[in-house]
Amino acid sequence: MAKHDTIRALLKRGVSEELAEKVADSGLTLGDLKGLTASELCKKISTSEEIAAEILQLAGSKPKKAITSETSLKSKIEQLEVPRSVKDALIKRLSEREFTPTQIERILRMTIEEYERIKIDPCEAVGIVAAQSIGEPGTQMTMRTFHYAGVAEIYVTLGLPRIIEIVDARKTPSTPMMVIKLNEEYRNDKTKAHALASRIEATYPSHLGDIVTLPDEMLIRIEIDESAMEKRGLGIDDLIEKIKGQGKFNADIDLDEDGKSINIRPKEYSYRSLLQLRGRLTSTNPSSGILIAGIKDITRVVIRHEGDEYTLYTEGSALKDVIRIEGVDGARTRTNNINEIENVLGIEAARNAIINEMVNTLGEQGLNVDIRHLMLVADMMTVDGEVKQIGRHGIAGEKASILSRAAFEVTVSHLLDASLYGYVDELKGVTENVIVGQPIKLGTGDVELVAKPYGKVVD
Amino acid sequence: MKKFTKYEKARIIGARALQISMGAPVLVKTDEMDPIEIALLEFEKGVIPITVRRK
Repeated sequence: MAKHDTIRALLKRGVSEELAEKVADSGLTLGDLKGLTASELCKKISTSEEIAAEILQLAGSKPKKAITSETSLKSKIEQLEVPRSVKDALIKRLSEREFTPTQIERILRMTIEEYERIKIDPCEAVGIVAAQSIGEPGTQMTMRTFHYAGVAEIYVTLGLPRIIEIVDARKTPSTPMMVIKLNEEYRNDKTKAHALASRIEATYPSHLGDIVTLPDEMLIRIEIDESAMEKRGLGIDDLIEKIKGQGKFNADIDLDEDGKSINIRPKEYSYRSLLQLRGRLTSTNPSSGILIAGIKDITRVVIRHEGDEYTLYTEGSALKDVIRIEGVDGARTRTNNINEIENVLGIEAARNAIINEMVNTLGEQGLNVDIRHLMLVADMMTVDGEVKQIGRHGIAGEKASILSRAAFEVTVSHLLDASLYGYVDELKGVTENVIVGQPIKLGTGDVELVAKPYGKVVD
Repeated sequence: MKKFTKYEKARIIGARALQISMGAPVLVKTDEMDPIEIALLEFEKGVIPITVRRK
């Protein structure tokens, strides 16, 4: 039994802290105390015989009260009517230290009170509040597009342009990027991480050697850089095969006599075809280049040692392909391409991605917007089961009410359509009611009073 | 007792204050003359003959 445990055990039995420490300091444990007499003990810890006798008596007793066990605390917290995150935080914080039942009771009661206090009432104009709460910090954001997001060398769009990108629900962000986490086997192994990185990064012939054009011989020669090949785990035969298979060239592709170069000779004897061939071979463009290895959309991979693991940062994003690769931890891997997340992982993941991206972008600028405003925006964008933008082609353009849409844009054509097809406006929204001059259905405007039978006069 | 939202409370007290100002019998014993103050007192005691219908 460790010293600390001895002290705790004695404290629970009602021994004062000072004495408990003394006992523990002298190297005694609770078990030793049982075999001692008062006179023996008083010598060991140098106190009077009475005190020693008292200690022995207390040590022999049962512990006074069991400190609220973790399981009962948990079940108590689980019964509270608060969100999951609050429950988890309570469980975590309350089990860090020891509390008496009354203290716990009080903490839980105050938590509930505080939670009820910050809940908003029905009929509150949450949309307006959210818009203002995002709009105001938005005016403080920098217009500068380019930044280094903690990672050297990888450009990421941040600030206002990124926020606009998110709420516009662009199909591809202007700077797609991924953060690839590795699974246990790979994350601590530098060589494995590097090998994985080179398997992911798109590789074109020009990465693997010098491409030399010899016009007088009508020949293009790739002088292989062996270290580059080795780094990517490629053999020269693989390379020839890839060029043959991917290129679909009208050319003869052979290994040079020295075994270190590849000779490519166009079958058609013309300068133009030679140049064309050269163009294709030197291209590192995803659409025209010849992909030797890696994933087409991922143009660059940077490896960083972060915390206690290796993490890959990529320029370009291909979630579907990346999470299938052996060694990648798909659960922790991220992309900033929300459209891709929607397609691969579904609408709920897309909603979370929108929230995360907005929180991170605002947070990066030192702005703290309550997450619930952003959640509302994300909910509105994803509620139909697909990500739609905030704007004329999305939320504002798809409102149910004709009057509301007419108030937003192209008034005449909306009203004309409505009259031609006999649309009905239910006057449920704010705009419609303002137009017809009625109280709006918000706040006190949405309360319906009814008479209750008369009561009696009270004091 | 049913808990009212702040908007419901505002509407109930407002409507009741209007009734009182137009001469409705007051349901609490008080020397207060301001109809809104009277309505507030009545609300605290829970005697206002008005409630809300929720959707």
